[in-house]
Amino acid sequence: MESTKSLSSELTKVTREVASYKIELDQTRKYLHCVLQNSTDIIFMTEITGLLVSFSKGAEKALGYAMEEVIGRPVKDLSEDAESFEALMVKSRLKGNVSAPEIHFRHKDGTRVHCHISLMELINREDNRVGTIGVCQDITRWKKLQEDLVQIDRLAEMGRIASGVAHEINNPLAIINEASGWAEEVITDAKGLNPDDREELKETVRKINLQTRRCRNITHKLLDFVRDSAPTRAEFDIHSLLKDTVDLLRPELKHTAIEVEFAFSQESLPITSDPRLLEQVFVNLVTNAIHAVLENGKGNGHIKIQTIRTDSGVDVSIEDNGGGIPEEARASIFTLFYTTKPPGKGTGLGLSICRNIVKNLGGELSYQSKIGAGTTFTISIPTPK
Amino acid sequence: MSEQPNIRVLLVDDEENLIEFMSKRLLKQGFTVKAAFSGEAAIKVAETTHFDVAVVDLKMPGMDGVETQHKLKEIQPFLQCIVLTGHGSIESALESGQEDAFNYLLKPVDHDKLVAAIKDAYKKKVEVQDKKFKEQVEALYASGLGAHGIRKAIGELRKIYGID
Repeated sequence: MESTKSLSSELTKVTREVASYKIELDQTRKYLHCVLQNSTDIIFMTEITGLLVSFSKGAEKALGYAMEEVIGRPVKDLSEDAESFEALMVKSRLKGNVSAPEIHFRHKDGTRVHCHISLMELINREDNRVGTIGVCQDITRWKKLQEDLVQIDRLAEMGRIASGVAHEINNPLAIINEASGWAEEVITDAKGLNPDDREELKETVRKINLQTRRCRNITHKLLDFVRDSAPTRAEFDIHSLLKDTVDLLRPELKHTAIEVEFAFSQESLPITSDPRLLEQVFVNLVTNAIHAVLENGKGNGHIKIQTIRTDSGVDVSIEDNGGGIPEEARASIFTLFYTTKPPGKGTGLGLSICRNIVKNLGGELSYQSKIGAGTTFTISIPTPK
Repeated sequence: MSEQPNIRVLLVDDEENLIEFMSKRLLKQGFTVKAAFSGEAAIKVAETTHFDVAVVDLKMPGMDGVETQHKLKEIQPFLQCIVLTGHGSIESALESGQEDAFNYLLKPVDHDKLVAAIKDAYKKKVEVQDKKFKEQVEALYASGLGAHGIRKAIGELRKIYGID
């Protein structure tokens, strides 16, 4: 009787213990599920031959496959180089765990996904190997950033070289300028010159003068653009700044069929802001408009630059009849390093820098876009009261 | 041209070709022009000859435009300086305390602009100089010197002011 009692109490104790373990197990399971569901890392598990048995939400997102599509498939098939991946799996079997700073997976859409990877052996209670767990961080954005930084550095270097060249060119330009001016005076005063010859010579020298002035405008504008200095405030006419901007971009427009239309407000619009920074914004937006029109490939390229006085200041809008911004790109156009241009053509910096500049000047940069019809960017610049 | 006062201009630039054409044109327009191809040469000339306006290039080997301008003003305090600069160096010139230059012009300079700047600088020079000259002459009369003393002192002043 006594032993039955003690057995019964033992049973109760064990039952309680089992129940508590069950709760604990349940909690651990929920915890793991939560990690797998929410981690942005690629977390997977394979059975002993390398066939996938688990594939986290983060993995689905990073590689573009739903879990059902990959379960039962060899995990190495997801990598770009199955052989090296297999070698890494073998290494982890020998060493228990292994990591590699960079391997390449292939996204479902064919693009490369750069990952840092750690592989661990899964061992059961009997100390037998039953599979492998992999945890990978998607470092594609970081890699892209690194590549972009190299590109930006190159562009910055180009800027420096260009300004050095412009400086150097200014000296001989100054000499041509003075020499042709002197020639003009000599021709005017020369005795015994046939009048027709005199006129022709004068006209020729005038052309030299004109072209020298043109060169000077280019070098000055270039240096103006490259020069960095603290933000300033000055009162200036927004219309002449916009015209100057388009002048600066004339070389880009020259061999295109793009027509630039100025739809300026009737009244002159003096504003107080930083003309150099605003010019940078306009150069960027008009360049984007030119590219949008060119990519679209239609013959009748048109860019309209409009100014309107508003209650708070001035609105400048730059409208193109290019292809418009694709729906899927709209969320990202102001994101740093986002670009739809081919590698080497765009840094993905322009719009994000523009928005920052306009924001710092107390204004706003917004856009409207319609597929097939074009895009209009509007810069609202406040005028201090 | 005959109405134009005789403006004495000192051109300082190491670009000899530039100075050659610039001085020819200025001479033809009735200016009295002297050229120096370095800051050091300019200082030497200024020690013996009076000028109204100096046109000085900012970037020169040896003594640069900033220092040249400083030294010229020490020798001839009423001299007005026009500094020629490459683009972008205006701020740096201003920051380094060179606000006493009468004007800054960007290279390559439009000749008409240069002429206008020289004429403006000359006006300024005459204005400043006359004011100071008057003050000093008045101070002289007030000092109670005799006629002979005053004549002698004015003679000294004329020398300082480069008035012939």
